[in-house]
Amino acid sequence: MSDHLNIRLFRFNPEIDVEPRFEELQVPTFENMAILDVVMHIQNYLDRSLSFRFSCRVGMCGSCALYVNGRPRLACRTQVSALKTQNITIMPLPNLPIIRDLVVDMEPFFEKWKKIKPYYVSRKDIVDPVVVHPDSNEREFIDEMLDCIACGCCYGACSMAATNEEFLGPPALNRAYTLIADKRDAIRVERLKVVDKSYGVWRCHTQFNCSEVCPKNIVPTRSIQNLKKRCVLKKIGVFK
Amino acid sequence: METIKADILILGSGGAGLFAALHAYDCNPHLKIVMATKGLVGKGGCSRMVQGGLNVVLNENDSIEKHFKDTLKGGGFINNQELAWTLVTDAPKAVHELEVKVGCFFDRGEDGRIHQKAFAGQSFDRTVHVADLTGIQIIGRMPDQIFARDITVLEETRGLDLLTAEDGNRVVGAVLSNIRTGEIFLVNAKVTIIATGGSASMFKISAPSFDKTGDGMAMCFRAGAEFVDMEMVQFHPTGLIAGKSRLNGSLLEEGLRGAGARLYNGLGERFMEKYDPEHLERSTRDRVARSNYMEIMAGRGTKNNGVYLDASHLGAAFVEEKFPGMVERVKDIGKDLAREKVEVTPTAHYQMGGAIIDTNCQSSLKGLLVAGEDAGGAHGANRLGGNGICDSTVYGRRAGDLAAELASQEHVLPYDEAEAEKIRMRWLRPMTQESRENIYPIRDEIENLMWENVGLVRTGNKIKEAIGRLDALLEKAGRASVENRFIRQYNLEWNNIIDVINLITVSRMVATSALYREESRGGHYREDFPKTDNSNWLINICQKRKDDTGIELTQKPVVLNRLKWEEIENIK
Repeated sequence: MSDHLNIRLFRFNPEIDVEPRFEELQVPTFENMAILDVVMHIQNYLDRSLSFRFSCRVGMCGSCALYVNGRPRLACRTQVSALKTQNITIMPLPNLPIIRDLVVDMEPFFEKWKKIKPYYVSRKDIVDPVVVHPDSNEREFIDEMLDCIACGCCYGACSMAATNEEFLGPPALNRAYTLIADKRDAIRVERLKVVDKSYGVWRCHTQFNCSEVCPKNIVPTRSIQNLKKRCVLKKIGVFK
Repeated sequence: METIKADILILGSGGAGLFAALHAYDCNPHLKIVMATKGLVGKGGCSRMVQGGLNVVLNENDSIEKHFKDTLKGGGFINNQELAWTLVTDAPKAVHELEVKVGCFFDRGEDGRIHQKAFAGQSFDRTVHVADLTGIQIIGRMPDQIFARDITVLEETRGLDLLTAEDGNRVVGAVLSNIRTGEIFLVNAKVTIIATGGSASMFKISAPSFDKTGDGMAMCFRAGAEFVDMEMVQFHPTGLIAGKSRLNGSLLEEGLRGAGARLYNGLGERFMEKYDPEHLERSTRDRVARSNYMEIMAGRGTKNNGVYLDASHLGAAFVEEKFPGMVERVKDIGKDLAREKVEVTPTAHYQMGGAIIDTNCQSSLKGLLVAGEDAGGAHGANRLGGNGICDSTVYGRRAGDLAAELASQEHVLPYDEAEAEKIRMRWLRPMTQESRENIYPIRDEIENLMWENVGLVRTGNKIKEAIGRLDALLEKAGRASVENRFIRQYNLEWNNIIDVINLITVSRMVATSALYREESRGGHYREDFPKTDNSNWLINICQKRKDDTGIELTQKPVVLNRLKWEEIENIK
């Protein structure tokens, strides 16, 4: 590994700046250095005015997604050595408004999230934790999809989200799947109606961009395809 | 200053804050509830980072009494027994609510019922979980319930200080700062709930998220609230060693030791045989962490000043299936947890001490409720793994219930305008003064000082030295200024100055109490008083602010109302 990195850093304060600019910086490297270490080093020691968002630093909170060398990634889980180059361009996550520098406004992301009614509504007849045998397939692939940390990487990678303001996007649809497939939930049909729209599941063109960038190795495309199947089943009257 | 009137103000959006909001709303949907959170909703803090799981009695062969005794034994018997009892009796309700109302789905066992795994210091396997990253499921689903209700959520908004009524003896809200815009405003509320988490990040090697800087505790201290057993800090035995990377000190979860992972020193000796031959690696966190530290200090550590955690004998397939999150984390530093031993270090994790509360989260100040890690007492001198998220959910629920009840009865009392303005000016100072004092070296100094002088092994002289230096550092941090003072929006440096002042405030409380307790118990180990002294120190150390920044200490005997002294003797 080289002893330093050449960083091109996106800077923009919408309140003051006419347009964004790139700052060029050299950052010394060390073992196990992640992109989060890079931006923290810059902010602590080179340019204290830099803004970025982070919290847990172990890939559990989904606060620190950035666009690094042309790809959305979690800053804390992206090792510098894995990029296999000394030249690194760090930008904010695409498809979302910029608050300052590397910090994006997640509001549009969560507005869409809220549209699919992301909250679980318990069926009235379920009064206790249900008995589900691990090999019953009752849970389909819900639980792995619930590992989503809503970091926005997939949303930043999705070309449909980039070009269709209305498109619900992979994370909201993935969350919808986890509830629509959950037989404990009381409003599954209502939710399916929300996603069965042209700007819902049908806007997904199965390009797999979301799945390629997911830091949790989730495949939202799989959830979306499953929802499409359920939409068809609903139309012919056999929704399960 | 812009003013928002509310019935209930909640600071924090971890397990405690989210549950408080949910319960307060469901008790009375007509209340105006404002929840402010330093990060994005549900993304900040440590509930989200819970790996292992949540302790709860569900099995007929287990019992509330057993969970209670385990909690007290783990806590060195200085727990507030009412708080510990409430914790274990309410835990089944919290888990039931998480499954049935919030929609969580915990891992199931072969019989199709909720699976409970082994953790340390417990007489029964009672930790419910979702693989090894449980917090994502719990805190991933809670905000969605908040979205379904009419609750005002202010993201990236931090509390600066609490407001008191004009007569000075009641909390009536807080002055806050919107991190995105840099604007300072206030919320005038009937009831304020503090649920912002602790500040183990005051130590050089620590596990919590970086946004946890003791803000809530520092605010409560400045407002005059009483605290208990602040010397009690938990060091988790198995923090990952990752050099200068921010991954350093992050946790490898306790379930690994529960499943049979072993610890070895640099000489290849399984050293827990020496420190706790009965429980070995499944001994409580305080003992295992200190044993690790002793080995390292005695020169028997690894080359990076750690010990080895070895899970490879459990079988690679087993480790990969049961601990996928841990395997992945270790992979980030180029190691394979399933197939080789990994270097670990004790890492500062949790504060058992905190604001004094009753079983409904009422603090010593009217109008102020405290829930979760900000509150003290339930865990005594050491918290059991799995009792943390248990605490935040149990007490979050209770805080919400009481807040709704209080808010339905009371009126919003006017705040003291002069005080509000004074608070605003104080926290604006880093943006207005031009001292060129840089906050980052100060932060690094605190972290090193606390680790070396008030860490796993403490002595009177070193703690005294730390207190002196902390006083000087508090003053120095008060002089710190922001380099670019023209940008208020999302100014990390400004926020870090506030963070560091809060960290020092809580560090002083920890150090002062640590100097006072002249014995060793749980997370508190005094080299100059290495024995646990039940005849003199079965006491709780209380403290509150005196004058401007002074600390007044008092001691109270532990109330042994449920588990009596004779029974405690038998357990030991």
